[in-house]
Amino acid sequence: MTDPNFAAGAVVCVESEIRGDVTIGPRTVVHPKARIIAEAGPIVIGEGNLIEEQALIINSYPENITPESELEPKTMTIGINNVFEVGCVSQALKIGDNNVIESKADVGRNVILTSGCIIGAFCQVNTCEVIPENTVIYGSGCMRRVQTERPQPQTLQLDFLMKILPNYHHLKKTVKAGHAAS
Amino acid sequence: MASLLQPERVIYLVRGEKRIRAPLSQLYFCRYCSELRSLECVSHEVDSHYCPSCLENMPSAEAKLKKNRCANCFDCPCCMHTLSTRATNIPCPLPDDPTKTAMKKAYYLACGFCRWTSRDVGMADKSVASGGWQEPENPHTQRINKLIEYYQQLAHREKQERDRKKLARRRQCMPLAFSQHTIHVVEKYGLGTRLQRQRPGAPISTLAGLSLKEGEDQKEITIEPAQALDEVEPLPEDCYTRPISLPEVTTLRQRLLQPDFQPAGATQLHPRHKHLLMKRSLRCRKCEHNLSKPEFNPTSIKFKIQLVAVSYIPEVRIMSIPNLRYMKESQVLLTLTNPVENITHVTLAACDEGDPDDINSTAKIIVPSKELVLAGKDAAAEYDELAEPQDFQDDPDVVAFRKSNKIGFFIKVIPQREEDADVIVSLKIRHDFRNLAAPIRQNEEGGDNTAEAIWLTHHVELRLGPLAA
Repeated sequence: MTDPNFAAGAVVCVESEIRGDVTIGPRTVVHPKARIIAEAGPIVIGEGNLIEEQALIINSYPENITPESELEPKTMTIGINNVFEVGCVSQALKIGDNNVIESKADVGRNVILTSGCIIGAFCQVNTCEVIPENTVIYGSGCMRRVQTERPQPQTLQLDFLMKILPNYHHLKKTVKAGHAAS
Repeated sequence: MASLLQPERVIYLVRGEKRIRAPLSQLYFCRYCSELRSLECVSHEVDSHYCPSCLENMPSAEAKLKKNRCANCFDCPCCMHTLSTRATNIPCPLPDDPTKTAMKKAYYLACGFCRWTSRDVGMADKSVASGGWQEPENPHTQRINKLIEYYQQLAHREKQERDRKKLARRRQCMPLAFSQHTIHVVEKYGLGTRLQRQRPGAPISTLAGLSLKEGEDQKEITIEPAQALDEVEPLPEDCYTRPISLPEVTTLRQRLLQPDFQPAGATQLHPRHKHLLMKRSLRCRKCEHNLSKPEFNPTSIKFKIQLVAVSYIPEVRIMSIPNLRYMKESQVLLTLTNPVENITHVTLAACDEGDPDDINSTAKIIVPSKELVLAGKDAAAEYDELAEPQDFQDDPDVVAFRKSNKIGFFIKVIPQREEDADVIVSLKIRHDFRNLAAPIRQNEEGGDNTAEAIWLTHHVELRLGPLAA
């Protein structure tokens, strides 16, 4: 199992669970109790992302394929300035920039999020498609509409968290290759 | 199990104009008639109007003027949520010095649910936080107003002619009778008959715009008839070939919420002012007493008068059901709660064979034959340590437990049908009710102060669930 690799500016709390080959870019904040699990392949997370409590980002095997069979590991890429709100589950293999996955939303493995998409709270999106830019999915029937402007990056929130979180939580240190995880 | 406590499990029968079966929590109790009332046997009256988001009160006349909409709050045309006002800073040149730019606040409307903003339809940002937003004008307003005026005048004229005819026919006119008749017949263009029903003899003043006196010649309003056009705009050439882009087309619901315009494209969906909600009071139709009167203040959820059935009638609830089998006797545990403060005596009876109320039951029921005694509801009982527990001689076969004003008792159920449907049993509850609303008559000996007890009987249906496999 390769070790996780955090960039210098990332704020990753000790209480978060990170397993497998996970690369986290600078200025990303991972809250306690967030889980990033790279089972079936590595996860690469860009910069400026906000991953809140109890969010689950998992690169897992598809359900009908057993782990023993030969399967090349697919990398899950997550772009910059995304927000994963509390309790969401994301298995999408490719996520672009400036997306917002709201609380308790569920994004399946075959969905590809481009930029500026907002998956509303408790919406389950497990179709097999590319969500066009600036789409908003909302409501109990997962209605869709296109918005004219992309959601703003949460720079203010990120700055605040990067200042405050180290005061109350221990952070995971950056791990260099070859050393054990601290 | 929480599903046993669902309100639809225990239904009480209301014997009003219609026979209505509803759970006790949805019923009212008129303590002057001593009968249960449901929402359909009471008359509803509007108390006050208020906006659900800014909680602003509005008198009825003002509400009618503003077409029952709030002046400050808007609804998202896309998802019907409440819109909130957001501010951004935009640089704008100072009036004195065009070269320097200052940050000015610009406000726009945004929906937190579907992320619609007022910029989506092209509405410019306003410089004031509230009051700057205008609803688009309906192009047909003038024609509609003119038509309304003409028809109101027509109705008034017809009513006057009818009154004149009635006066000429009968020498002894009964103003009460014929004015009510003309109300029902003629006021088809007015507000409706509800308001007039309350005041049977009062003069009709719903057509507030016209102030006419008898015999005065009013100005004749004429309208041009609508003209039918021969030529209709043809459909665009690519109507059948152009691919539809779904995000741009409005849904039926979005379209019909704006009946003035009914826009087909999402870029024409403008926000509308929020609809007002109203507080209503209920009145018993037989004795004209108020059953429910809410507070005037929109922020308060209390009632001035609240004659709900749960605070007068003992409530039956299902506590546990064993496995029900066809034609086998099983014991069901029910609870009875006493809502009043004095001791209540309850007698249960199974429905007779030819009971016209008993249409739904699918099982036979054997109820305890003895009278059950319920203690009064004592709010201070848990704090009062010195109180002696009252000693009721309970038969352990009948009464399972007793706890302050609640009692658990057994009934025996024998399902009679083998279908897949739920087992429904019905029984009659007879309890004594002390009417504290009626004046207490003092005896000549000066002894008895308690009010007279009357016995009320209710028909209750219990839905016990499906038969066990």
